[in-house]
Amino acid sequence: MDKQKAYEEYLKNTHRLGRAVSLLTLVLLLGAPFLIGSLLGTLPDLGAAARGFLSVGLVWTVSSVVEYLVYTPMLGAGGSYLAFITGNLINMKIPCAMNARELVDAKTGTAENEVISTLSIATSSLVTILVLGLGVLLMIPLRPVLESPALQPAFANVVPALFGAMAYKYFRKDIRLALVPLCCMSLLFMFVPSLTSSTSFMIIPSGALAIGLSWWRWRKARKGAEQA
Amino acid sequence: MSVLDQLNGGGIYLICGGIVLFIAAICVVFLVRAWKAGKALGMDPVRMKRAVTSSATFSLLPSVGILLGVLALSGSLGIPWPWLRLSVIGALHYETQVADAAAEQMGIRLGMDPMTTQAFATIALLMSICIMWGMILTALFNKKYLKRLGGKDAGRKSGGGFGDVAMVAMFIGMVSAYLGSYLGGFVSGNGLFTFSGSWTPLLVAAVAALAMAVFTWLAEKKHLDWLDNFSIAGSMLLGMLAAVLVGH
Repeated sequence: MDKQKAYEEYLKNTHRLGRAVSLLTLVLLLGAPFLIGSLLGTLPDLGAAARGFLSVGLVWTVSSVVEYLVYTPMLGAGGSYLAFITGNLINMKIPCAMNARELVDAKTGTAENEVISTLSIATSSLVTILVLGLGVLLMIPLRPVLESPALQPAFANVVPALFGAMAYKYFRKDIRLALVPLCCMSLLFMFVPSLTSSTSFMIIPSGALAIGLSWWRWRKARKGAEQA
Repeated sequence: MSVLDQLNGGGIYLICGGIVLFIAAICVVFLVRAWKAGKALGMDPVRMKRAVTSSATFSLLPSVGILLGVLALSGSLGIPWPWLRLSVIGALHYETQVADAAAEQMGIRLGMDPMTTQAFATIALLMSICIMWGMILTALFNKKYLKRLGGKDAGRKSGGGFGDVAMVAMFIGMVSAYLGSYLGGFVSGNGLFTFSGSWTPLLVAAVAALAMAVFTWLAEKKHLDWLDNFSIAGSMLLGMLAAVLVGH
């Protein structure tokens, strides 16, 4: 069997396995609140859950659809099944997979990218599971250290630390492009500071602006190359 | 026995731990399959090993941050449920918001009012429902969606299309939104253009970016390629250290 056939077989089985484990995980996650409720001698209040869904769930539904459409092409089959099961996409899985992909110079849409993304997401998920598992086991002796007032500023700033490092990594690739969304977003947050509580949603217009600009430039460059 | 004691009971640990173990097993299966597929495709094991090592080091610090999310939620929801949520599908920025919304519907304020068993079960259900869509979409449409996207590119050896450009642009947009929020928070966080908001996130981001620049310089100019594996985690650590030093 040649390499291409073996790869196609791998992809076919990945989809089969991915669908099965996604649906099984879904059943487990939706069933757990009822199972835990019955252990506690109660059941979830479905009316309150529905009202809660209408207040915050719809926004997260839209966000999930956008995340699915944007990130799936980058992650490939195996990576996307795993990433959407294990979560923490924006703050960890996506940058992690991008980092691994760049280290080995794998391009979007290639078989190499499929393998590297899956390796990266699976490793990242296992590390999180391991750290959380150990943390939960050590929760009692670890709690005073982690909750010590001296360390709180560090853990309160994990996200700015991540985005600072990412800013250097990505802005240097195209600083002229970066200036536009950075200035627009900075001005927007300065004039409407209440938006800071919805930063994760502001990624959508900011990302759309950056993608739109790069699309316009890419088309222009391609037309120029065709005419030359 | 208080509700919190019940939420930290052995039965709930067993349910949540069982699901976490199931997910860990899935990850191992995908990891092994991808490794074997890479070898079958003739990929260099050294490069695959590099992807695994860099992903492990990359994930270490953010995972400690996620562990703190477990700690933060454990005061109102017990330890096992936040452990499950943040190990599987959840995200640090999502969980608290949804838990708070569900608690509000049950007439309690999360972390302030005593938890009830029914409020907990309702919160747990809403946390599961609100974020399940990505998983449903992948299960239903992944094969068709990827086939449609990759139709033209299947089997190609190199990129060069708009896909890679778009991914870099998406990241530039995402980072811009966060940096803009830190700048906006400092300038107008305590009133429009008062310049009295918190400057710590800006400082932390700046230190992390500077550290990243140094790591990149060492890797590229001094040929210390191995540093690439630790550059993001190391930069984050230095940025977080800056926050400890200024004590905000």
